[in-house]
Amino acid sequence: MSSASKSIALNYRNIYILPTRRGLGFVMLIALLLLIAFIYNNNLVYLLSFLLASLFFITILHTVKSLQGLVISKGHSEPVFAGEFASSKITLNNPTPIERYSVQVGINKHMALQTIDIPAQQKQRLNLAYKTDKRGWLVMANPVISSCYPFGLFRAWQRLNLDSKVLVYPMPSMQDCPLPENNQGQEQLGNAQKGQDDFYGLQSYQTGDSIRHIHWRAFAKGQGLFTRQYSGAQSAEIWLDYEQAMAASQEERLSIMCRWVLDADEAGMTYGFRLAGLILEPNQGEAHSKKCLEALALF
Amino acid sequence: MEQIINQRTLIFLLSSIGLITLPHAFHVPVPIISFFFVLLIWRAIGIWRPAYLPNQFLVFLLLLSGIALLVIMHQGVFGRDAGTAIFVTALGLKLLEIKTQRDLYLITYLAFIVAASQFLYVQNILMAGYTLLVCISLLGTLLCINSGSLGNWQSLKVAGKLLAQALPLTIILFIFFPRLEAPHWSFLQEDNKAMTGLSDTLEPGSISQLGLSGERVFRAKFSGAIPPNEQRYWRGPVFSYTDGKKWEQTKNTYFKRYLDKIKFFGDAYQYKILMEPQSKNWVFALEMPAAFEWPLYENGHHQLLTSESPNKRAEYDISSYVNYNTGYITKTELSENLQLPKPPESRVKDLVKQLGGFTEKPETYINHLFLHFRQNKFYYTLMPPLMAENPIETFLFDTRAGFCGHYATAFVYLMRVARIPARVVSGYQGGEYNETGGFIEVRQANAHAWAEVWLSGKGWVRYDPTTAVAPERVEQDVNIEQQIANNVVSFAPVQLDSQTLFLLKRARNLWSSVDYSWQRWIVNYDRQNQASFLSKLGISGFKKMFYWLLGLLAAVIFVFALMLLRKQKTVLDVAQIYYLQACAKLAKLGLIRAENEGANDFLVRVTEQQPQVGLAFTQITRLYVSLRYTKEPAPECLDQLQTAVSGFHPKG
Repeated sequence: MSSASKSIALNYRNIYILPTRRGLGFVMLIALLLLIAFIYNNNLVYLLSFLLASLFFITILHTVKSLQGLVISKGHSEPVFAGEFASSKITLNNPTPIERYSVQVGINKHMALQTIDIPAQQKQRLNLAYKTDKRGWLVMANPVISSCYPFGLFRAWQRLNLDSKVLVYPMPSMQDCPLPENNQGQEQLGNAQKGQDDFYGLQSYQTGDSIRHIHWRAFAKGQGLFTRQYSGAQSAEIWLDYEQAMAASQEERLSIMCRWVLDADEAGMTYGFRLAGLILEPNQGEAHSKKCLEALALF
Repeated sequence: MEQIINQRTLIFLLSSIGLITLPHAFHVPVPIISFFFVLLIWRAIGIWRPAYLPNQFLVFLLLLSGIALLVIMHQGVFGRDAGTAIFVTALGLKLLEIKTQRDLYLITYLAFIVAASQFLYVQNILMAGYTLLVCISLLGTLLCINSGSLGNWQSLKVAGKLLAQALPLTIILFIFFPRLEAPHWSFLQEDNKAMTGLSDTLEPGSISQLGLSGERVFRAKFSGAIPPNEQRYWRGPVFSYTDGKKWEQTKNTYFKRYLDKIKFFGDAYQYKILMEPQSKNWVFALEMPAAFEWPLYENGHHQLLTSESPNKRAEYDISSYVNYNTGYITKTELSENLQLPKPPESRVKDLVKQLGGFTEKPETYINHLFLHFRQNKFYYTLMPPLMAENPIETFLFDTRAGFCGHYATAFVYLMRVARIPARVVSGYQGGEYNETGGFIEVRQANAHAWAEVWLSGKGWVRYDPTTAVAPERVEQDVNIEQQIANNVVSFAPVQLDSQTLFLLKRARNLWSSVDYSWQRWIVNYDRQNQASFLSKLGISGFKKMFYWLLGLLAAVIFVFALMLLRKQKTVLDVAQIYYLQACAKLAKLGLIRAENEGANDFLVRVTEQQPQVGLAFTQITRLYVSLRYTKEPAPECLDQLQTAVSGFHPKG
């Protein structure tokens, strides 16, 4: 499911604004100055406090202005495995001739704000990371764009109703779970097993790569994480069946299934997929594995 | 929240704070200001060498020493000086503890208070301008914190711009914000610093100390005619009692006030007098004051005094007549003004006798005495020789050189020897007319002493013996620039190049008139001034004032909102313009692109609704997307897009 590209133009009608704690401190400062001016009947102290008060009012407009006119659009979010961070890519477009300073984007209070400057007529891309723990559709909380420019006395913000969601695959099982033996042909499986030894090269580690295939020796030498690549299993054809994935709970069984799909795909096998009523005929390639993983995610 | 404080912000902050505290060096005790600057420099070194910053224990010790310093310097007295010292010390100590952005804000706010406390000491334009500039730099610090890539100068520029935008609101607030009468809390009012000015006793040489001071005493703005220089006698304390050396005011100064009314002739001079802060509650009215209002009152010597505290600027409306008759003299007055410390020496008696003091009419005697001063090599000088014993006799017979005080006292003394009631009046004489501002400005250098003689049928009559020796003193006014430049008083010939002096004078006059307006309209804008100014605009009453304040504030903010928040013109690039042309053509067919609809989405929609049109539109969309969203689009794409759009004629 591709998320339709959607953009939001920030307009003062939708921007909320409230003084920050520092802004309230500033009000207290003005009050104190007024008190001094009153006690000593000093017009210049009055003047200074009026100046600061006027600045306080003017700042409201400037803080709203620092967001107004920005156009925020969201990009496509790639599916992830549970436990990984899902990222939502958003683009902040500043089509106006004024630079925007310290625009902050955050998801909620617990997550760190990302602060960026957006030069005039330029775009900035941001990645918002969401923690995932469950498989299925993750509805990403709408991020809040805010700004305290120029003096930090006010915070203007708008919640961006991007309504992005991302598909979360089950977490691949961490346990050692060899691919199921196929009763349709011992021989083929044998081939497959043999094929695993048909090592043809190293590839740098990517999320989802089987831990079993990590080239530990290289890692121990401090050369980074590499995955061994195998060839020669093209002819193997197996069935990945939910019924064969043995574990205590449904989620763990789905995890095992996920692991199998990844391992089989990596090994370049042709595999069929059977999950409850869903049967996917043996096939291989990215599209096929994606279909399988989606089925697992949404089971 | 990101709490990293960068070096740039710190440098900005520390330099702003140094600048803001600098003028306090003049009024905060030296130990406290040194303590502050040590802390500031310590903190500044810490920017580059964080290891040198004091640890918590040391900070605690510094805090204790700061408190100790405050207690020692101010002895628990709470007031302006103590308050300022507390804020300066607190600011210094807080500098050593900058951990989070919150601390930066606290310091900035403290710095604003320290800046404001400056105005409790000095209220002139220069200080206001200086403080405004430093405020820009403090605001620049706040900007630095809140804007990642904004440069230093840019920060200052933006801060200045924002400050300029705040000015209209500030002016409205200043004019309309109700000024309440502050209670006079004596414990908050600071005791007077030693202010120069006339004193309540007179010694012949005492006025000469003022001769070099260009410090302003008051300004008088006349409505209508301005008195000529020789009539500008501004009356101060009157001295009747003498011990031969020192002259004092007599105690019962009110005795005659209610018995006798002074008679005035001719036209009155109407004027407003703006007094600078004084140590005494004397108000120097033009001789003789006739009408004035509370808080002014007159004592028995026709001297005006104010019943309010004199250490603030104050403005009074007075009218005076230069022709007057004070009427008869009372017995006490007579005896007081004939008082002599001891029987006069024989050479004094001989002199009086020689001038006809015992035989001639008083007027003739006075004329003879004036002639005597003029013809016997009496000198007028600001630096008379020291006369410790019998100053009057020494002056009359030996040194023959003195300032106005010498002449006036000697004159009065010789009158009294001849049994003519006389007394010394001190005050100011002359004053410079400022054409730009239309007021007369009187400075300490204008301090003067003259004599009053009571003549039957005329009352108290002013005689200025100084005019006998130095008529220029009264006719031409003191040349203050010259005095200050040469450190001596001289009336003629002019020693500085006259052109330079003229320019100097012009510049000073101009500045003085600006300063007058500043004092009059800004510093002195109190409750009464506000009420009278607003009633001139037809706004009277607290309620009306309040509505006007709110209304104007709202109006100005509304105007600013319109200006700042109007839709910003988005800058279209050429590709966008072509694409929008194509969209406009589609819109005629009823295919209208939603504002936030992506180009590809729109294409899909167009193709679904009008497959034929969609086919032609595909190329346009593809070119447009590649031009807009690829990093480096092929240069020929734009031309292709243009041709495609111009050849695009969708038909429904």
